[in-house]
Amino acid sequence: MVPKKKTLMKNGSTSTVTSSSSQKSKVEDTKKSKKMNNNQPLETETSKESFYASPLYDFLYPFRPAGSQWMTEYIIVLFAIIIRCAVGLGPYSGFNTPPMFGDFEAQRHWMEITQYLPISQWYWFDLQYWGLDYPPLTAFHSYLCGKIGSFFQPNWFTLGDSRGYEGQDLKTFMRLTVLASESLCYIPAVVYFTKWLGKRRNQSPIGQFIAVAAILFQPSLILIDHGHFQFNSVMLGLTVYTLNNLLDEFYAFAAVCFVLSICFKQMALYYSPIFFAYLLSKSLFHPRLFNIPRFAAISFATICTFASMFGPIYFFGGENGGITNLLQSIKRIFPFARGIFEDKVANFWCVTNVIFKYKANFTQEQLQLYSLILTIIAFLPAMLVILLYPRKYLLLYALSACSMSFYLFSFQVHEKTILMPLLPITLLYTSTDRNVLSRVSWMNNIGLFTLWPLLKKDGLSLQYWVCLILSNWLIGNFSFITPRFLPKVLTPGPSIIQLGENYRRPTLLPSNWIWKVIIVLSYVMMGVIHFVDYFIEPPSAYPDLWVILNCTLGFGCFVLFWLWNYYKLFSMTKKNIHQL
Amino acid sequence: MSVTTKENKLLLQEKQDNNKNNHPKEKSRYSLWNFWICSLALKILLFPDYYSTDFDVHRNWLAITNKLPLKEWYYEHTSQWTLDYPPFFAYFEWFMSQFVPKVVRDDGCLDIVPVGQFGWATVVFQRTSVIISEILLFVVLQWFINKSKDNERTQSFIVATSIILSPGFLIIDHIHFQYNGFLFAILIASIVAAKQERYLLCGLFYSIALCFKHIFLYLAPCYFVFLLRAYVLNVKNFKFKSYKDLILLIQWNNLFKLGGIVLSIFGICFLPFIYHLPQVFTRLFPFGRGLTHAYWAPNFWAIYSFTDKIATTLLLKLPYVHKLLCKCIKHPLFPTTREEIQSRIMEYGNNGSKGLVEDVYFIILPQIIPKLSFILTGFYQLLAVVPLLFDPSFKRFIGSLTLCGMASFLFGWHVHEKAILLVIIPFSFLVVCDRRLLTSFMLVSSAGYVSLFPLLYKNDDFLIKTLYTYIWCVIYFFSLRKTTKLSSSVERRIFFFDRLAIIYIIGLVPMVFIIQFIDLLKGKYVIFEKFEFLSLMIYSVYCSVGVISSWIGLSWLYNFDEPLWMTSKE
Repeated sequence: MVPKKKTLMKNGSTSTVTSSSSQKSKVEDTKKSKKMNNNQPLETETSKESFYASPLYDFLYPFRPAGSQWMTEYIIVLFAIIIRCAVGLGPYSGFNTPPMFGDFEAQRHWMEITQYLPISQWYWFDLQYWGLDYPPLTAFHSYLCGKIGSFFQPNWFTLGDSRGYEGQDLKTFMRLTVLASESLCYIPAVVYFTKWLGKRRNQSPIGQFIAVAAILFQPSLILIDHGHFQFNSVMLGLTVYTLNNLLDEFYAFAAVCFVLSICFKQMALYYSPIFFAYLLSKSLFHPRLFNIPRFAAISFATICTFASMFGPIYFFGGENGGITNLLQSIKRIFPFARGIFEDKVANFWCVTNVIFKYKANFTQEQLQLYSLILTIIAFLPAMLVILLYPRKYLLLYALSACSMSFYLFSFQVHEKTILMPLLPITLLYTSTDRNVLSRVSWMNNIGLFTLWPLLKKDGLSLQYWVCLILSNWLIGNFSFITPRFLPKVLTPGPSIIQLGENYRRPTLLPSNWIWKVIIVLSYVMMGVIHFVDYFIEPPSAYPDLWVILNCTLGFGCFVLFWLWNYYKLFSMTKKNIHQL
Repeated sequence: MSVTTKENKLLLQEKQDNNKNNHPKEKSRYSLWNFWICSLALKILLFPDYYSTDFDVHRNWLAITNKLPLKEWYYEHTSQWTLDYPPFFAYFEWFMSQFVPKVVRDDGCLDIVPVGQFGWATVVFQRTSVIISEILLFVVLQWFINKSKDNERTQSFIVATSIILSPGFLIIDHIHFQYNGFLFAILIASIVAAKQERYLLCGLFYSIALCFKHIFLYLAPCYFVFLLRAYVLNVKNFKFKSYKDLILLIQWNNLFKLGGIVLSIFGICFLPFIYHLPQVFTRLFPFGRGLTHAYWAPNFWAIYSFTDKIATTLLLKLPYVHKLLCKCIKHPLFPTTREEIQSRIMEYGNNGSKGLVEDVYFIILPQIIPKLSFILTGFYQLLAVVPLLFDPSFKRFIGSLTLCGMASFLFGWHVHEKAILLVIIPFSFLVVCDRRLLTSFMLVSSAGYVSLFPLLYKNDDFLIKTLYTYIWCVIYFFSLRKTTKLSSSVERRIFFFDRLAIIYIIGLVPMVFIIQFIDLLKGKYVIFEKFEFLSLMIYSVYCSVGVISSWIGLSWLYNFDEPLWMTSKE
């Protein structure tokens, strides 16, 4: 064929050009595509990575070069949002269950009462039907969301007529408000926090991003906020902002953020002893005695923020007068009239209630007092440690010890309250000690497990399983299960990083063998409880038996972790930030 | 800067080290395993999402193939969703229907009814069947990676992951509901076989794919010419002496092998229906449909219809333009009076806001008949195929495959926007060859995937589809830019067009958001309801601009840029 020859000749003539330019291109290639050449793991570098060879590490590995690190953040944050959207496709609490519905309806209802009623009515209106019982910032937030929603579709929020309204578009809108609130509050705060610690501790960029991803893929928060429907991420995000400000030593701003957090959801008070002790110690004892300007600034900021939050409630108090309105709001926020626990929750009171019926033997006031005393005893050591050693790297341990004490011993705890201790615990993913990381991931699993009865009731079991498995798999908890029986062509395992022939994947378990046994045993029991819950009807005399078992297991694990956490807190006082 | 140079040095050193102790065992190995698990999680979370009527279509086919004897499959019409895929797909549905558990059966999955009555169990079963059948795609792509040369591994890996994570499959298969992942796996298998120069396997896979979904027929010219030239004809040792020697041109042995394989596949496929073939073919090729869909696919006809709409409005609003044009163009081609235009509008009832009519009529521009559309498609496919006749290399083959897909997408009759996968998937294999193809690829993939958005019109999918597509584009445009080979003729790049393409792609973002915003306001302001068709029109016109420019760019490189297509000897 003639044309073929022609092309051949042409090839010959242009070969010089192509060869020289191909060399150039090769150089450019090596410059630009570092990804191609990084096939060999650098043992010295990688051995430091705590999540080495986990799927997350594997996915982010190609973006290691300095030129493409900016992508990593985008990828993690966007995928975190996508997963949240996908979870949001499922049902929400109280879906299709008139007449009371659930938390979704409560939030929608607040969006309409804040919109259509004067402030003086907010904490009074029809208290039986989801009366507002969160602090003012939630109300303001609801007002804003409600206004935006009414702009698009006024009949979503018409007071009275829209009670129990459940449209597809309303659901989309409400899910979007959670997502937007979280993207503004929680996600940037977490990213900043992780990067700050990572930089100070000379963690590699990929290690920092893996920590961000591990925190953002924490399943409990995703499922409660985007599945069950609540706005916990706003409160938690404000708390992380508080931490960020403390890290940057902006104490007054920290106080502002924390007060906002409390004013969004009173549960943030679980952290207050620690923040209080830290700020007090920083302004009165450390590094010099009586730093009065700092103390004044903190107090001023705190008072001003509280005033601006509760001010409107007082000034627009209406006919009853400001004080009555203010007191009513506080009465609504702290419902001491309710029982010592609601539903079944994995804390001390609920679990020991099986043996000893508190409600039958003590009055409400007595129980309140006992629970208060127990709680104070439980968190006091953590508070004292912070008072004596106001160190940044102690904050996370102290916060988790304190909030866990509240969860375990305080009055009126919900199962969703586990999100409070889980926040500082999850933030410990910034640690590089595998002993810590393994316990963090264990706590996250147990925490999610105690939410199972709630999520099951909401119809979110599919989402529960997917999130549980995904979050564990991402950080490499399942890496030890690599199917070798599959045909050679499939090559299961990491995608890009190349592991040595005899590289043994570490399981995410602590080095202490007692803890290994405890953790594995708890996982086995988790599996067993799930199994009986799914296949066997509970005996008719004890319809809640499986839930009680769930709570008992959860309580046991929480107590063990809490004790370890205290041990860690005390031993950390002698260490530094690099040993976090 | 200093950091990067340092890193470069390190990298070079590392590379040298690699070369020194280059054990065959330490060959870089890329696995799709993690990608499968990760995407699996997302796909399972999408179970409760919206599904289209295609879901009921496939459910109905499950029922038909399960409940009826084989010869009635193509006659059954209780539901309006009659079986209109080739027999292999029907067998596939029959095969799946054997695994329907009792719960799903009781749920109404296998009832032949006009409109399916089913619940969550059926949804789970069908969605799972998509996920399981899609494993084939992973297997095929893993095979592709394993077989590619060491220095091409990274590129192959990027191509493979870009395909399995493609927003196209996520939107069409896992939300909208179809089995494209599985079907394209077979097509990709034939492409991989072609790359390894295993032509029999290539022909085998292609004919299987064709018997699963006849839309692949659009690629037939390319496969025909490629296999003919590369496998059947013996050009190298051919010397023309007389016409009798033409017989020697054909390698009869190969011809019979290939022909035998292809014919036996078709035999297995159609032989059970031998007495019902006319009925099967009327089902497969329904010619009664109109030129475009209700929602115009982003192709040439979208622009054509758009021009017609604009011209109609203009001529009605501005009479003097009409008069001027009347002088230039004679009567049968052009309506002479305004009354005629209005009567045409009345007659066709096609005033732009409905868009539901099966047949499309144009008011000002000449009507398009099926023959014209086929001639145009055929012509451009011919142009794509001719170079392959001279140079049956793998690159050429993929290039012509992409162009064949594009020609049929742009000019075909009643093209669906989902057919854009027929362009993007082959193009993914091509784009790694040269940096200059990247602009074209970026245009067609971004415009093509965005044009799929109207398939999911529910608001709750909005963030998922946009964010997923966005992050896919960011990741893969970036990685491809890093890893594609810089071509020898980089100077010949026209940077102006590259910039323009980037601006166009970025412009997709505000377009999508503004249209979504207008959609949201529909409930509030009645005036926006008029824009229902307009927003779809903006989508298809804007996207078709991208697809057409991508086609022009690729055609230019394909026909006039010769160093790009030379096979590098390494």
